[in-house]
Amino acid sequence: MSSADGQVVRAAGVSRRYGEGEAAVDALVGISTEFERGRFTAIMGPSGSGKSTLLHILAGLDQPTSGTVVLDGEEITGLDDGELTKLRRDKLGFVFQFFNLLPVLTAEENLVLPLSIAGRKPDREWLEQLIRTVGLDDRRTHRPSELSGGQQQRVAIARAMVSKPAVVFADEPTGNLDSKASADVLRLLRQAVDEFGQTVIMVTHDPAGAAHADRLITLRDGGLVHDAVPGSTDEVIELMKQID
Amino acid sequence: MTSLAVKSLWARKVRALTTTLAVVIGVAFVAGTYILTDTTFAAFDEIFEDSLAKTSVVIGARDEVEQESGEVPSFGAAVLHRVKRVQGVRAAAGIINTPGGFFDSRGKPIGSRFAPKLIGSNRPPALESITYIEGHKPRDASQASIDEGAAEEAGLELGDTIRLASVERAKSFRLVGIVRLGDASFGGASIAGLTLSEAQRITGKEGEFDQIWVAALDGVSGAELKRRVERVAPPGLLVETAEQNAERNSNQIRDNLGFLRIALLVFAFVALLVGAFLIFNTFSITVAQRVSEFGMLRTLGAGRGQILTSVVVEALLVGLIGALLGLACGFAIAKGLNALFVAVGIDLPTTSLVLKTRTVVVALAIGIGVTLVSSFVPALRSTRVPPIAALQALEVPRSRRRGIAYAALASLLSVAGLAMVLVGLFGGANSGAAAGLMGGGTVAVILGVSLFSPRLVRPLASLAGLPLQRLRGLTGRLARENTQRNPSRTAVTATALMIGLALVAFVTVFAAGIKGSIATAVDDSFQGELVLRNSNGFSPISPGAAAAAREAPGVEIVSTLRATQAKLLGGDGGKPRVSALDRDAGSVLTIDWTEGGPETLRNFADREVILDKSFADGNGFELGDRVRFLTQIGRRPSLRVVGEFEDKADLLGSAVVTHGVMARQFDQRDDLLDFVKLAPGASIDAVQARLTRVIDRDFPTAEVMNQEELKQSQEDQVNQLLGLIYALLALAILVSLFGIANTLALSIHERTREIGMLRAIGMSRRQVRTMVRYEAVITALIGAILGMVLGVVFAALIAQPLKDDGFTLSYPVVTLIMLLVFAAVAGVVAAIGPARRASRLDVLDALHYE
Ligand SMILES: Nc1ncnc2c1ncn2[C@@H]1O[C@H](COP(=O)(O)OP(=O)(O)OP(=O)(O)O)[C@@H](O)[C@H]1O
Ligand SMILES: [Mg+2]
Repeated sequence: MSSADGQVVRAAGVSRRYGEGEAAVDALVGISTEFERGRFTAIMGPSGSGKSTLLHILAGLDQPTSGTVVLDGEEITGLDDGELTKLRRDKLGFVFQFFNLLPVLTAEENLVLPLSIAGRKPDREWLEQLIRTVGLDDRRTHRPSELSGGQQQRVAIARAMVSKPAVVFADEPTGNLDSKASADVLRLLRQAVDEFGQTVIMVTHDPAGAAHADRLITLRDGGLVHDAVPGSTDEVIELMKQID
Repeated sequence: MTSLAVKSLWARKVRALTTTLAVVIGVAFVAGTYILTDTTFAAFDEIFEDSLAKTSVVIGARDEVEQESGEVPSFGAAVLHRVKRVQGVRAAAGIINTPGGFFDSRGKPIGSRFAPKLIGSNRPPALESITYIEGHKPRDASQASIDEGAAEEAGLELGDTIRLASVERAKSFRLVGIVRLGDASFGGASIAGLTLSEAQRITGKEGEFDQIWVAALDGVSGAELKRRVERVAPPGLLVETAEQNAERNSNQIRDNLGFLRIALLVFAFVALLVGAFLIFNTFSITVAQRVSEFGMLRTLGAGRGQILTSVVVEALLVGLIGALLGLACGFAIAKGLNALFVAVGIDLPTTSLVLKTRTVVVALAIGIGVTLVSSFVPALRSTRVPPIAALQALEVPRSRRRGIAYAALASLLSVAGLAMVLVGLFGGANSGAAAGLMGGGTVAVILGVSLFSPRLVRPLASLAGLPLQRLRGLTGRLARENTQRNPSRTAVTATALMIGLALVAFVTVFAAGIKGSIATAVDDSFQGELVLRNSNGFSPISPGAAAAAREAPGVEIVSTLRATQAKLLGGDGGKPRVSALDRDAGSVLTIDWTEGGPETLRNFADREVILDKSFADGNGFELGDRVRFLTQIGRRPSLRVVGEFEDKADLLGSAVVTHGVMARQFDQRDDLLDFVKLAPGASIDAVQARLTRVIDRDFPTAEVMNQEELKQSQEDQVNQLLGLIYALLALAILVSLFGIANTLALSIHERTREIGMLRAIGMSRRQVRTMVRYEAVITALIGAILGMVLGVVFAALIAQPLKDDGFTLSYPVVTLIMLLVFAAVAGVVAAIGPARRASRLDVLDALHYE
């Protein structure tokens, strides 16, 4: 697509300050980094280190105090609400920790919700493939309240991918799940990257989750302190101990 | 716990505001009603007292049968010189005080349509209570004075010409005085003054007085003078002290206008009922939303009683603040109601606004009472929150048994309510008890339906949401689903609107029926092409009008109808209407004879009477029986029944007598209606135009109408009343719109995160707005559908017993559809605030929202 070097997201000197004067908090201080297309990146760091803030800014949900973010060749810092809405429809997918699904819609309706909102017709073949991949073939007409947490989260992941966005952002998608369900969700994200070439950026506290990623970046006090291939779960645990 | 209530209220200011507003509107309506009616009564009292300021004793004809029209008989002037000779009399004067019509030089009526225009006579200075703020009293038969309010309204100045009309031909006078009486405003009423002899002449009361006023010498009390005057007064006259007279007038006004207060209170009650629904819903929702807070308090050791207290205190605060604000707004409502009445031609006297202690007490009691009662169930529910709720997002437990109990209660209320309405309708109870039964029954049915309505929400929301879903896809779909999420919440919100719309639908259907029935009645009973009547629609007109019409070319027959109220001796104390017809009435009116026939009327004699069938049946009269009436002037004619008729249009009242009897025994000398039949071949338009010219010149209180105009004018009156009722119901509907807005705001508050998520996955602000708006539209439509069904069913029920009176129901489909559209639009309006707030939610904040 537009960026020939395969970068899909680029942050340049991104800072975010909350509040003013004495009480001001610098959640991010001059972060510059790039994310390659078709890769799975995990973001870790101690609580309050700025992970969510970074993710929100990369996804255009929040605006940096200074610095720029370019997403799929388009600078998103400074877009108005209408442009951001269009961006979300076309280029972004989200998976949150909880409250992902609309309780009044069925699993399948939730899955195609981004398309319905945008007034688009789903590509039937792609849809079937997604449903099969997330393993909810027999749960299509169930309402979220009739699904387990893991199933709900898998629907959410499928939903994030349904419009074939440039990037899927996930903020602690396994934060609310037990280890078995977490593993399923992580495997699914991995699969999305491997099979469909989906770019995924995920904030997580779970070393096992990070170990699924191609790349792990670590934040502390709003700064980038580590950026490498994650290695095994144990190596990630070791790394986090050092950083803390 | 009290401080918690205050804080919790403060933390939810907007919600507290709308809840309070519901109380405010209802209370303001009640307070405004009392303030307005108290003020009106006070104004009348002032006028009565002011006009008798120098008078000690008032003599008038004994009014044996008080007329709804307020007309009183006059009496012979001869008694005056006897009164003048009574010891202790400083001055005595006969006066004229007779309703007429006032017009400016171009013939335009002065004053408002339904208010009295009184022609009065000069009083001697010792009795005079009016002051001339300009000019002087009329000195000869060409001069007149008028009150300041009327002069101002009509832009009259000294030297201008005014035309006065009464029994004699209208005459132009030169305005020589502008007068004032006390401080109260007459409203739309007005007084004109003439010399005594001219006043007697123009009102057709030569040698007669309406009253004699007597002033006492210093040191003679009114009561003493009254006793002395009574000794010289003939038995047909009533002697009163000025105080007694003023008090009797004041009581009469209270009797006559009492219905106004009751009618307004009924509408206020409707607004309060709707407000109660809103309060109930708001408290239910907040209790549900605060479950984990209550649970937390319970884990900290708060007892059930404390939780209850905190909710009840919150309700108490809302009620108290609402009641106080409502009381304050009552003044504005009083002014507004008065303006509304003025707009439909009921321009009542006013004076400075009167706030009685009773009004304050009632307002406070109602405001606090309604709030406490309607928050009681939610408050109780809050006590059932277990401590564990702090840890889990629990719903307040609601057992299945309760659901069944609700359904049973709902059915019981509906059935009992319906039964009460039916008994009220057909049970033959007296009108007060019947109205009570019907009112109570209606409320019971409304409560029943509202309890049952959660079950109706699903299907109705699907029905109402279908077109939206078709048209707008996802947003419509989500809107519908959202209304179905919490059926009881939607149901209460919708039923609040239902109440107002049910009443609107009811009166709309009913009014359509009345209009249709009037048209049929006119078509069925009027054979004459033209009708003469007073332009206010109810007062009598000069018999001169009929005489003038008889002279007009192209007119073949003018047959007159006079009417009065009398008492049936040995009857139930009611005042049946008695009419008089000409012997040729058969050629202008179609009478539906059940006994006798046209020849009965042609041979009608003075000792005979023809009865309305239902009146005859109700009192057990048959052909040949003697009927005895007590008339307004105290005569007791005994009349033989010679015929019976059915009178669907209720044109003739209960009994018909000859004109001779009507004039001599009943003392009615003016016509109510004149029916005009044209000569063969005469053009209706031409004759009407000619007649109108004559009538406008000589008898301008009357107007000439053809059948179409007659129907139209009756219809206009119904429409005007309908407009008034709509306006009065508007407040209740306004409250229910607040209810929709409030529920919506609270629901959106609950769904903040969900909306954040929708926005994150690409929903635009506009789509969020649309979704919320449609949710309101669907809720409003549910209320409208329920309301229309209820209103139409009730109209159909109540129309049943009226069938015999020729009342046929017709369904104004177009109006009802417009009502649906109105409800939808109202929903959109109610959603403006919540929709805006929902669409402006910051995505990130919304996602983080706990
Ligand atoms: N709306 C806000 N106002 C003020 N300060 C904020 C706000 N949001 C975040 N912060 C601060 O910014 C810093 C980074 O917050 P952020 O939520 O990005 O941390 P995080 O790494 O996601 O933490 P966690 O692992 O606990 O989710 C924290 O110190 C936090 O207190
Ligand atoms: Mg975080």
